[in-house]
Amino acid sequence: MPKIQNRIRRLRFNRDEMTQQELAEKAGCTRQTIIAVEQGKYVPSLELSFKIARAFNVPLEEVFQYE
Amino acid sequence: MAPLQKRSLLALFLEVIWALAIIVVFISQGGAAKFNTDASFRLIMDGLWVGGLILYWWLFSSIERRLDQFDERDKIILEKSLKVQWMAVILSLVAWVMGLSEHFHTEGQIPVIFLSLIFFSTLIVSTLAQSVGILFGYWRMNRNA
Repeated sequence: MPKIQNRIRRLRFNRDEMTQQELAEKAGCTRQTIIAVEQGKYVPSLELSFKIARAFNVPLEEVFQYE
Repeated sequence: MAPLQKRSLLALFLEVIWALAIIVVFISQGGAAKFNTDASFRLIMDGLWVGGLILYWWLFSSIERRLDQFDERDKIILEKSLKVQWMAVILSLVAWVMGLSEHFHTEGQIPVIFLSLIFFSTLIVSTLAQSVGILFGYWRMNRNA
């Protein structure tokens, strides 16, 4: 079954271990939502996905992959 | 725990206390018979209903306005909780209709006090069901890994 994967954990690690709270503040959501997205329990809206990608300053497909 | 999840847990706790307080006051003050005749008793009960509803409204509306504590995921869960709320209200009304119809079948009419009791019990069920629906929504989302 196709699933949306994400590399948020890796990207946070690459950004000097950016905390989930920092990412949440940059993306404009709660820390709990970042946790849920990171663990694959919640698929964010397109808008939030773009905000998360923008927080890392990378293209969307570098954060989320459709497999 | 997400802020809305914590708030729902608190709301559920307060709503249970509120519902129990209403039942205890209603029974201890004389029940349906006194409610029908005593205006001050009705006023006390009205105060309890309205006070509880204001608290319920504040509990959820205050968190919805805080952008750092309420986002799209919370909004989805909140919207989905309406299904639980709707189902609980329907079941409550079905129970009232069946119970009252059976009990007052031979009389052919239902005392007017039940109008108030149906309305306010439905409000209690509705508020409780929303909190339960929100908590269920978070549980379900966390389970779906």
